[in-house]
Amino acid sequence: MTISESAATDRPSDDVIVELRDTSVEFGMERGQSRVLNEVTTEVYRDEILGVIGESGSGKSMFASAMLDAVPEPGVTTGEVIYHPEEGEPISVTDLSKDELRQFRWEEVSMVFQGAMSSFNPVLPIKTHFVETLSAHDYDIGRGLARAQELLSDLYLDPERMLNSYPHELSGGMKQRVLIALSLVLEPDLLVMDEPTAALDLLMQRSIVSLLEEIKEKHDLTIVFITHDLPLVADLADRLAVLYAFEFAEIGPSNRILEEPAHPYTRALLNATPNLSAPLEEMRPIAGESPDPVNIPEGCSYHPRCPLADEECETIDPGPYDAGPDHDVHCHHWEQSIEDLDIAFEETSDTGKTPSAVDKASGDPLVSLSDVEVTFGSANEGWLDFGESQTVTAVDGVSLDIYDNDVVVLVGESGCGKTTLAKTAVGLQTPTAGTIEYRGRDIWEGASGSTLADKEIRRALQIVHQDPGSALNSHHRVRTILEQPLKRWHPDLDGNDRRERILGMLEYVGISPPEDYIDRYPHQLSGGEQQRIALIRSMLVNPDLILADEAVSALDVSLRVGMMDLMIELQDVFDTSFLFISHDLSNARYIAEKTGGRIGVMYLGELVEVGSAKRIIEDPQHPYTKALRWATPELDAEQIGDSEESPMRSIDIPDPTDPPSGCRYHTRCPEAREVCATQTPGFVDLGDETHAQKSACFRAYDDHEYWQSASITDEHADSGVDTGGDTDSGVTSESD
Amino acid sequence: MTRSEDDSTTTNDGDEASGSPGSVDELIPNTGGSNDDGSTAAVRSDGGTVDTDSPFETTSTVTETRGDRVDRFLEEYLRTPWSILRDDWRALAGFAILSFYVLVGTVGVYLVEPTYPAHGPKLLGAFADWQFPLGTTSSGRDVLAMAVHSTPSILVMMTSGALFTIIVGTAFGVVSGYKGGLVDTALSTITDVFINIPGLPLVIVLATLLEDWINNPVTLGVLLAVAAWAGLARAIRSQVLTIRNESFVESARAMDLSTRWILSKEVLPHLMPYVVVNMVNAARSIIFAAVALYFLGVLPFSDANWGVMLNNAYNSGALYRPAAYHWLLVPMIAISGIAVGLILLAQSLDRVFNPRIRARHQDLGGDDEPIDADADADDSTKEMMNV
Repeated sequence: MTISESAATDRPSDDVIVELRDTSVEFGMERGQSRVLNEVTTEVYRDEILGVIGESGSGKSMFASAMLDAVPEPGVTTGEVIYHPEEGEPISVTDLSKDELRQFRWEEVSMVFQGAMSSFNPVLPIKTHFVETLSAHDYDIGRGLARAQELLSDLYLDPERMLNSYPHELSGGMKQRVLIALSLVLEPDLLVMDEPTAALDLLMQRSIVSLLEEIKEKHDLTIVFITHDLPLVADLADRLAVLYAFEFAEIGPSNRILEEPAHPYTRALLNATPNLSAPLEEMRPIAGESPDPVNIPEGCSYHPRCPLADEECETIDPGPYDAGPDHDVHCHHWEQSIEDLDIAFEETSDTGKTPSAVDKASGDPLVSLSDVEVTFGSANEGWLDFGESQTVTAVDGVSLDIYDNDVVVLVGESGCGKTTLAKTAVGLQTPTAGTIEYRGRDIWEGASGSTLADKEIRRALQIVHQDPGSALNSHHRVRTILEQPLKRWHPDLDGNDRRERILGMLEYVGISPPEDYIDRYPHQLSGGEQQRIALIRSMLVNPDLILADEAVSALDVSLRVGMMDLMIELQDVFDTSFLFISHDLSNARYIAEKTGGRIGVMYLGELVEVGSAKRIIEDPQHPYTKALRWATPELDAEQIGDSEESPMRSIDIPDPTDPPSGCRYHTRCPEAREVCATQTPGFVDLGDETHAQKSACFRAYDDHEYWQSASITDEHADSGVDTGGDTDSGVTSESD
Repeated sequence: MTRSEDDSTTTNDGDEASGSPGSVDELIPNTGGSNDDGSTAAVRSDGGTVDTDSPFETTSTVTETRGDRVDRFLEEYLRTPWSILRDDWRALAGFAILSFYVLVGTVGVYLVEPTYPAHGPKLLGAFADWQFPLGTTSSGRDVLAMAVHSTPSILVMMTSGALFTIIVGTAFGVVSGYKGGLVDTALSTITDVFINIPGLPLVIVLATLLEDWINNPVTLGVLLAVAAWAGLARAIRSQVLTIRNESFVESARAMDLSTRWILSKEVLPHLMPYVVVNMVNAARSIIFAAVALYFLGVLPFSDANWGVMLNNAYNSGALYRPAAYHWLLVPMIAISGIAVGLILLAQSLDRVFNPRIRARHQDLGGDDEPIDADADADDSTKEMMNV
């Protein structure tokens, strides 16, 4: 941060490491040229971290590929990409031969892609990957491996164990860190990272991002960090560049971008990004959708969605305007934008909706889970079964009540059992032990196999899936998809009635004109439209409880708030309860706070804390909730920079097949004491009269033997190193 | 049912009283078109009404007629596939070849008189005498007539065998894959038994046992397919195992749609390209098997057919007697021709089941075409961009 502020004012021109001049990438399509990068001109300075932000389909991956001239066939890169090495003449990357490119790519500029899972060859140990990379570039293998070991331990990994492991033995976060080490082993000057953490959990994302800063300082790196997640890079990057519709909308120092965004899109994006601190009223979706690469709008590409657009915007492509030191913006009205934009937004959208803060924790529960346990896998059953017993307890003794018109949001890392618990609650997963009651009736009573016996209960509990693409059968038209629930539950309607009802629903959720959409196939719809169809489909059977499994995480940032608003609205109109699942605390907060619902935090199959959104966000009691709170990046410029120490002792989750004894969090908990390893804490009610908050931690008791127990954290105070694969990371902190 | 006016209005009132304003329109970003109507119930051009207040209760004023349903059925199963196939040369060629065989098998048998020994001169070459265009055999039988008159039984045998293979194979595969558990174990065991039965000996034994029926082409087709369906069942089962875990199947289960619907309408369409290709391949292999078995003399025969012709020609030394080449070539060309036709058809039928291609060909009025192209290309762009 501080470096950039001083350097930003007058940066010598020889400090540029890569510059792009009018760089375009085009793909020939059946219906014309598809421009996925549109005459981009920009510079990357030495020793900075440049955060590139864009929604999916904004051309951000193409920007990364163009920098290395690595655009996949049949894409064509035009314009200039010039690399300035520390010594010697500038290199024009686009003119390099195949051989020179190969040298250039790992030795000068290296790249980390998303999806570390597929970047490794599963049949080769990690060490071979390093050796192959080194020998392909004629490097000294011994020296290279020594450097690799140093890099691995810098990334809090045990070098010996890592090098001798096979890729499948490592967790996703470990693989991603090994990949970063691999990309740095040839000592490149520039590291391009394309969504390096997109597939990882919140806690792991945050941990890797904070490691990057250390790595960058130690190895004199320039980093280009490409992501769709604005808050994630906000406190890491020195400068931020916002991509919209295949060109830069705005580029400038990150604190300026966050505090005084000059481009209307940046401003809208900031408002559309749910976070923990901003008031709910300020969050609003961006209307419309990103343009198609074949028909980029004339003039300013953002004008169809921009509230400030006028004739000038429709005809003249805005060049870079200077909006302050080192701050360029591509908008004709940037000065006006800073002043008028909020007013313009007030006019276009009205989100002044008061949350229905009814006390929902009263009356009889709609769905009541008691001591639910779900186990996967089979135990070793004796002869002919030589393998170890492989059972995973995904949900371990969870009790939860969901009331009428209630909203419960389950949060947790992946693999913590939140989806399994939720599916059990709606009768799509058979519990191993415990009961689920719907209005006092056991839902599995008289059930055969995996289907519920009582069809009314089956109707009352519905699901909306995470990935809208696979939630709709690609072989059916919208009409067929939506007709089925009607045929099953409203047999009195004939074909025309069903059609009218479907048209009405489509229009209700803002898909218009509905006649045009009813005969489309799912692939002809955008992600947001698909998700709305899936939502309507479950609404059409009049359910009492809908499970929304990460229903917004597959959508673009700018559409998430809109989708959540729609769900909240439908919940109100149709008197349903929602059980949301989210790995993202800011989305959870948005929904729970707006509806007056509760947030439940899960860790390794157990519910560790339940409470109202306000209490969970502002006053988390359980150390794990605090860790999640820490891992959720902030957009507020003031809070950026003072990123505290990680409140966890180990980055990786223990192996769920062998969960830790006592409190399951004690292996990572900074407050853990000896008693935590032996005794399991129960729920403690911390709530005042209005908002119940429960936490499963001994620290909630004023008077408990915990306070006399010896701390187990001191001896391993600096044991962030992961000793190995998933198999025994359960004892990570002990095996230092 | 005609317009259920009373129903919808009463419930509407109830909803309005409880105060559910259509404010959702204000909250949702306007995706493209305009959302003009907010409060009043708009009357559609086709007579229905849309109440934004309670889309749950909307019903139509027009009763669905039988004609509507028939029309929709035709659109789905005839017009769209035809419009897709019309553009594909392989489909046209495949259809042309197969239609030719069907024509020969139906009309041809009436046009070409059956032949008998000493019908003409011995071993007349092809195209030598227009009374016997394809020549004669060593016993003086007309080669063309023999080839034509064996077509119907071959076609019937091929169709019945192919249908048997895919119907039994798909049913076993889909049910055992979707149901799992005990059903799966039972069906998979049966499948495994059939996979492991050696096909040729089984056919030989059955052919002897069923001698009375073996001259019926349907029985013969099924007999030849007895060992073929099991492999298909196994392959389909493994595909169903992945499809059953897809979100849309889970949604269908959550909505309590019938198992029959889930299997036939949710799961099966994803398998159709595979099933169709297998059907055509099964048809091909049944012809090959039948011809081979006739040639070997394993199957009893009463009448001439392509396999028997090959056998006779071979026994008369057609391989090294140029004068008898035509006797060998005619059945060979007949067999290859139908195989080529089937392969072309299989390749093109793949397209019929692709929703992207279907969407482009459906008859939905003029403005649909560009929209489809957009969505289609958009996707491929995204694939290319790795996003």
